[in-house]
Amino acid sequence: MTLIQVQNAMFGYGGKPVVRVDSLELRRGHCLGIFGPNGAGKTTLVRGITGLLPMMSGRVERQPGVELRLGYLPQHRAMELHWPMTGFDAAAMSISARRLFGWVRRDASAVLTSMRNLGVESLKHRPFGKLSGGQQQRLLLAGALAAEPNILVLDEPTDGLDVQSRRSLLDLLADCAARGLCTVVISHDVEDLLQLSDEIAWLHPAEHAGESSRCESISPEHFAERMLQTRRIK
Amino acid sequence: MRVVVVLLICLSAFSTTAAVDRATQAALNDIDSSVTPATKPAGTTLKRSESSGESPRIEWLPLLSLFAPMLAAAVAVGVAGGIAGTFVLLRREALLALAMPQVVAVGAAVGLRNHWPTLPPAIVAAAGALIFLVTSRRRGSGPWVLPALYIAGLSISFLVIASKGQDVADLQKLFTGIDVAVAPSDAALAVPILLVVGITLAVLWRRWLLMAQAPAAAELAGLHPARWDALFLILLTTILLMGTNVLGVVMVLAMLFLPAATALPWARSVPVALIAAAVLALIFLGVGFAVSNLMQWPLSQTIGGVGFGFVVVSHLGARFL
Repeated sequence: MTLIQVQNAMFGYGGKPVVRVDSLELRRGHCLGIFGPNGAGKTTLVRGITGLLPMMSGRVERQPGVELRLGYLPQHRAMELHWPMTGFDAAAMSISARRLFGWVRRDASAVLTSMRNLGVESLKHRPFGKLSGGQQQRLLLAGALAAEPNILVLDEPTDGLDVQSRRSLLDLLADCAARGLCTVVISHDVEDLLQLSDEIAWLHPAEHAGESSRCESISPEHFAERMLQTRRIK
Repeated sequence: MRVVVVLLICLSAFSTTAAVDRATQAALNDIDSSVTPATKPAGTTLKRSESSGESPRIEWLPLLSLFAPMLAAAVAVGVAGGIAGTFVLLRREALLALAMPQVVAVGAAVGLRNHWPTLPPAIVAAAGALIFLVTSRRRGSGPWVLPALYIAGLSISFLVIASKGQDVADLQKLFTGIDVAVAPSDAALAVPILLVVGITLAVLWRRWLLMAQAPAAAELAGLHPARWDALFLILLTTILLMGTNVLGVVMVLAMLFLPAATALPWARSVPVALIAAAVLALIFLGVGFAVSNLMQWPLSQTIGGVGFGFVVVSHLGARFL
């Protein structure tokens, strides 16, 4: 089922176009990868297709009658580890975002159940900053899933993880997609995108000042071919 | 284990104070014998014992009664400042907290010059600075804003009342907090506001955590990080404004930074850090008040000194234990 459909849309800030999209779709159980250099407009694209940024032109349609619940998995390396917080505090952040004052007492069981499902319940009292990158990322994913989103946005999910933690996280994300969750993965890692994505939005930066980036939607196979060609040329 | 260590630090500080007291009592006795009652510092009630040669003792009850409005305001500033200071350090907003009292002082100087109450112009100055800060942050202005505000506040407040003898002295008192006297009406206004703002900041701790760690998650959930950032600045500015107006810059900054800096190395969660900072602020106040009266030292600076001692011990303990 299609959740969001984007046609010929332009997104930007203050009247200045940043990224142009010809066609994109977010569907249940579907993974959209977003690839592109820094500054190409990856965040703007996500804000645009999720409705946080009003489009400048074109069309963004949502499935009528379906309430969109957007989840977000932050980069564990972007977390400010000088904050004193336990594993539970970190996992409860996503659900606290949906509560008026951020209180999560009523939802503690949902967070703990999600932590148990991902095998990190034992970390609930441990200082978050002293956990490994893999443990931190699983805790954050447990928190994001506890809020029961129907679209989960992941920002560089495997950045800084060791091989085993990366493999484990990618398997978890594949499981989530298999259970019907729509995922949007922002990544510079070609292997991650090839493993997870059903479709890849490749952002090509503007060639001239004042122009917008262009979002090209391609299949993973086509993306792999293009990347191989690029490497051969180099 | 860490809680036990914190308690030990507190106990050792108290015992150190007691030792200082015994050592200084003899000195006070000598001073007391050479100083006539007319020249004794105001607010300190030293009383000679019946038998000659014994140390003078302070009558604490009359002293507490005399300073009740100031102590009530200081308790409120301690609780609110301890809580706010924890978030100030965690959010790395220390420069903002340093600059804002200087801006408040500009308003106070305008009030002193025109013989108005100092609070309304201080509110106007703080609100103006706050609006400027929030808009400059939204526009992504550079790191020059806060240092410039700090220097501007420090300079303009004195320029406003330059060559106004007594007013300059009053402004200096506001900055240094050497002569802390609070009118009951000022305390009645400041105490409830400070406590409500402090408790509001504490209740919203998960919101501040979310905004610091994952503003994108907050945005996707329909929250506006910029508005929450503005709310934090408003609450912090309220504490700095009310605190500076009643107790002066030094006391407010001491209560804002030092309890939080002492508590944070030991805290494993934000609520623990908040409670510890509020309790430590009250300990600093109690110890500082006692020492300042025993030693005839200015109160704000004594609290700052006591607090800094705790900070050093806390960080050394956290490093080596």
